[in-house]
Amino acid sequence: MINTEYDVLIIGSGASGGMAAYTLTQKGVKCLLLEAGPSIDFQRQRGLKPVYELPYRGFGKPGRLSHVLQANEFNANQWVDEAEAPYTHDPREPYNWVRVRMIGGKSLFWARMSYRLSDYEFKAKDHDGFGDNWPISYADLAPFYDRVEPIFRVSGRKEGLAQLPDGNFVDDTSPDAGALKRFGAAGQSRGMTVTKIRRSLGDGQFASSYNLLLPPAQATGNLTIVSNAVVREITTDKKTGLANGVNFVDRQSGRELHARAKVIVLGASCLESTRILLNSKIANSSGVLGRYLHDQFYISNGVIAIVPEAKDGKAPRGLMGGAGYVPRFRNMKTKEKNFLRGYAFDIYTGGTPDAKYYPSWGEELNRMIESHRGASIGTTIMGEVLPRYENHVRLDPKVRDAWGIPVLNFQCRYTDNEFNMAKDAVTTISEVCAEAGFEVLNGNDKMFPPGYSIHELGTCRMGANPKTSVLNKWNQCHDVKNLFVVDGSSFVTGGTQNPTLTIMSLSMRASEYLAEQLRKGDL
Amino acid sequence: MKRRRFIQTLAAAPALAVPATSTADAQQTGGPGGAQRPQANAPNLEISPPDAAAETMPRFFTALQFSALRRLSDILMPPLNGLPGALDAGAPEFLDFLIGASPAERQQVYKVGLDTLNAQSRRRFGKSYADITADQAVELLAPLKRPWTYDPPADPLERFLKDARQDVRTATTNSQEYATAETPGGGRRRGGVGQYWYPID
Repeated sequence: MINTEYDVLIIGSGASGGMAAYTLTQKGVKCLLLEAGPSIDFQRQRGLKPVYELPYRGFGKPGRLSHVLQANEFNANQWVDEAEAPYTHDPREPYNWVRVRMIGGKSLFWARMSYRLSDYEFKAKDHDGFGDNWPISYADLAPFYDRVEPIFRVSGRKEGLAQLPDGNFVDDTSPDAGALKRFGAAGQSRGMTVTKIRRSLGDGQFASSYNLLLPPAQATGNLTIVSNAVVREITTDKKTGLANGVNFVDRQSGRELHARAKVIVLGASCLESTRILLNSKIANSSGVLGRYLHDQFYISNGVIAIVPEAKDGKAPRGLMGGAGYVPRFRNMKTKEKNFLRGYAFDIYTGGTPDAKYYPSWGEELNRMIESHRGASIGTTIMGEVLPRYENHVRLDPKVRDAWGIPVLNFQCRYTDNEFNMAKDAVTTISEVCAEAGFEVLNGNDKMFPPGYSIHELGTCRMGANPKTSVLNKWNQCHDVKNLFVVDGSSFVTGGTQNPTLTIMSLSMRASEYLAEQLRKGDL
Repeated sequence: MKRRRFIQTLAAAPALAVPATSTADAQQTGGPGGAQRPQANAPNLEISPPDAAAETMPRFFTALQFSALRRLSDILMPPLNGLPGALDAGAPEFLDFLIGASPAERQQVYKVGLDTLNAQSRRRFGKSYADITADQAVELLAPLKRPWTYDPPADPLERFLKDARQDVRTATTNSQEYATAETPGGGRRRGGVGQYWYPID
């Protein structure tokens, strides 16, 4: 019987777990990585199909994946089956928990938006007095951003903005569309700057731990990967209180197994990591495990506008096409009356509005859509959600998943800070569109339910004080020193930026610290 | 033209044949396990989707509701520019199936909406929605002139009409009839081809 004790057992193979494996194995650390889902053979698992061959003509099976608004009938099988792995919430306060279980995790499907946080986030309390600062500053993490960006080949343009630090970019020298320039000029007086989208190029096909992190980690000879391993709990030594391994269930057979390791690294994704800790009954002397759940609220097509010169297919060359990003500009030098923090938004040009935005039908509707084909400006608004103690997850005492593991119950809602911010965003963007000479077709300030952004953060936050945080500044558990949590659950506050680049940089930083502690014999 | 006849006409035209990624092809190359089969010995059967050979039997809506849905579908998505309309694409029959398989809330939206449409039609014009004139039928669609909102409209008829407008369009543009009649290379949402994930073991 195999009874190996690994140096480090990593739970999760996505961006955070993958980066831990990448970093640790290159330091000579023997790692075992457990992933709850299977390894995917993309040649066999996917195939082209016309939509009319799908059983539900592209609508999807009614009632399936009701929380996953990103799902469609083509990709329904890539998401976690909610019947197999349920969670609960008050029906009046939905939470859209979007999950992927396969080698590579959500990093197989992310939008690849790769932005750094700044000290407006790391030191947010210093800036506006709300909540807590992180126990680290931007300067602590910047060297790791510098090293993660080249691995993922982040494209971008240096802008020199304090709220959106520049990175180690593959230079994006493409020209901005004329419509973006007009919007930028109109928004300048409000402090807006239209930047390039910063995006991980990866190898073109993927920008995932699946292709960029796990292969080099395995090439060291120091990484063992086990798929279909659904972790039930972390086990501890009763004498020392230290973690000594993991109990897991084989996803397909239901067989129960135990793996041993000197150190445990949790990178199972924000809420799965917290769920594992809650089920393990460890790491919660502070009482804040599961607390301070936050994300970014999202409004797709918050403002849709038409560029008049582009109607009826008459756009001059260079007017339309491409997208930009407007980073946070609120509550930096000035102070808003009815909300803290701020929002960012993507702005994309050259699209065609959905039929639902037109007050018509039949032939007239078709005429309107054809006239606006390729002539629209669209925006996706991403607002910072304040991390609040009240927003939390806990174990549901009554519901278990297909493997008998207690599931999470969500208690989470947005507050007036988010609602007021959303109103400001739609009003302001509409005004700027009008000043730029665009015709506003629709404005919507209602955001999707919490969770929709797939940027769930917090619940296992870092902090200098063990009484108010779960992890120290090295993502190391205050209570169990040979336990590290390296995913988004460690965030103290999230800003408006897509978090994956920060998650990977934190994971690299924590893993290097961990490796050094192992080398010195301190773990 | 009767829908069955419409489909047969399309199927008879060689240039409008089923795209290369037919179910048979997918089974041999793309599907789970497909790559392990000895392809040289596998017969290359051409498999048709059921709509090419049969028509959906309406089962969910009452006859009165269904007649209103057919009339409404024809108004919302008529044949245009050589492309099939909702009736050509069997959209009402498909929606009868889809809504019948949907959660109760969605079923209610449709049932209440269709009943309201028929009730208003009788009250104002003395006939059911399927039997009034084209101008009268359009008059009852005034709620569609109200702007789109993220939250569903409180008025049951407006909510139904807005849902139906989207659903009828999707059921039509995602039909085989539409895909076959459209120029090749249409996008995923227009009867085109998309990357399908097979169920994961």
